[in-house]
Amino acid sequence: MLSGLYSAAAGMAAQQQRIDGVANDLANASTTGYKHVRVGFRDLLYNAQGGSAGPTVLAGAGAAAGFIGRSQEQGALQTTDQPLDVAIQGPGFFQVKRPDGSLALTRDGSLRLDSQGRLTTSDGNVLQPEIAVPRGTSADQLSIAGDGTVRAGAGRALGRIELLTVRAPDGLQPLGGNLFAANAASGTPTAAGNDSTLRQGTLEGSNVDVGDAMVDMIDAQRSFQLASKAIQMQDQMLEIANQVKR
Amino acid sequence: MERGLYIAASGMVAEQMRQDQIANDLANASTPGYKADRVTQRAFADLLLSNTATGQGVGGLTTGVAADRMVTDVSPQPVRDTGEPLDLAIVGDGWFGVQTAQGTRYTRNGQFTAAGDGTLTDQLGNPVLGRNGQPVKVDGSGHVNASEVGVFALADPAKQGDNLFSGTAGGIASGAVRTGALEGSGVDPARTMVDMIASFRAFEAGQKVIQTIDESLHKTATQVASPNGGA
Repeated sequence: MLSGLYSAAAGMAAQQQRIDGVANDLANASTTGYKHVRVGFRDLLYNAQGGSAGPTVLAGAGAAAGFIGRSQEQGALQTTDQPLDVAIQGPGFFQVKRPDGSLALTRDGSLRLDSQGRLTTSDGNVLQPEIAVPRGTSADQLSIAGDGTVRAGAGRALGRIELLTVRAPDGLQPLGGNLFAANAASGTPTAAGNDSTLRQGTLEGSNVDVGDAMVDMIDAQRSFQLASKAIQMQDQMLEIANQVKR
Repeated sequence: MERGLYIAASGMVAEQMRQDQIANDLANASTPGYKADRVTQRAFADLLLSNTATGQGVGGLTTGVAADRMVTDVSPQPVRDTGEPLDLAIVGDGWFGVQTAQGTRYTRNGQFTAAGDGTLTDQLGNPVLGRNGQPVKVDGSGHVNASEVGVFALADPAKQGDNLFSGTAGGIASGAVRTGALEGSGVDPARTMVDMIASFRAFEAGQKVIQTIDESLHKTATQVASPNGGA
């Protein structure tokens, strides 16, 4: 029968996936350190139509969309003046230990001090390597330098926040809660270069551009509609074919 | 007489194939670097009819049409900025080379990503080739050097699916690689919709021809030589 019905349906499914991505981005337009998804499109198999058609006449099977990773664009830095808000400028991630003991990467720099005086993320994942603040030191006394060195007042260094990068951030496995796990697809984390610095008293905003996301949504919606028109047309053609014999 | 039935039917089949191609184009309205197709039709060979009594020629009669060739418009499309370091577009002529299990394939869709070892790959993980024919590497900060990425000339490009084309390689092409940009889809929604309507009406006309011939055949079978004169 008409293979075009299914090609158009595949196109609609691809646009739907794109809308899912845009919706998730818009929902995270204010999430600290969030990176918007990249939706990749590709066309599908081509088969010869056969019959009386020439050998170059092919029926394409439509389109497919998939998430091919995340944008690594820098999000806008927002000044918060909170001593434990630390934004990463440039590539790189903080490394944290999750409650189950596994390591994860994050760019969310809204840090806290836990009951033992250790620096943790807002979800309580302990920053690695551990940096403990002596009892009686308030957060206001802490200073964090661009290279990550943490000091209490003018005193000695308590430790250094280390930044890590991976070769392929697109391959990182999202764990939710702003956390990512390194795996074979992303490469092993290594120390970040000198082009990554820390900014105390600021947070990195989401890199979702609401305007771009809205335009993407409109485009996806209209393309969805176009493909649905093709389905309607094919349906009418089948109807006409059915009426050949009245 | 009944020859006309098959001629009309061949037209309907050819229009169906055109609709299949249009549906595929519309499905790919957002695929970067997609190249739109066009199905051309060709008439079958003409028969020369002649009067059997006098031998005098009556004229030619085609025996229908067939979808003959699918032509892909590979002309470059406008490029838009995305800001993603691994979104690449070729401004001007040329193709990205991609190493697949079946050999080197070519694409204009530059939505690339990086593998764990830092190799630049396409969406399906095939390494992207540089000017020297070797896979391109992404640097430590996640960027690629646009001048390292190969832009190849390609003769007789043929669609293979997954954004890939095969063809005869012809050295380096003149196009320039731009990072942070993507080439748009070659599908023009307005033109494709008009093509779709035109093809639909041609299909409909084919059906009407079949119905008309069918009516004539019906009259021939039931009225000609009937004792009461077909009343």
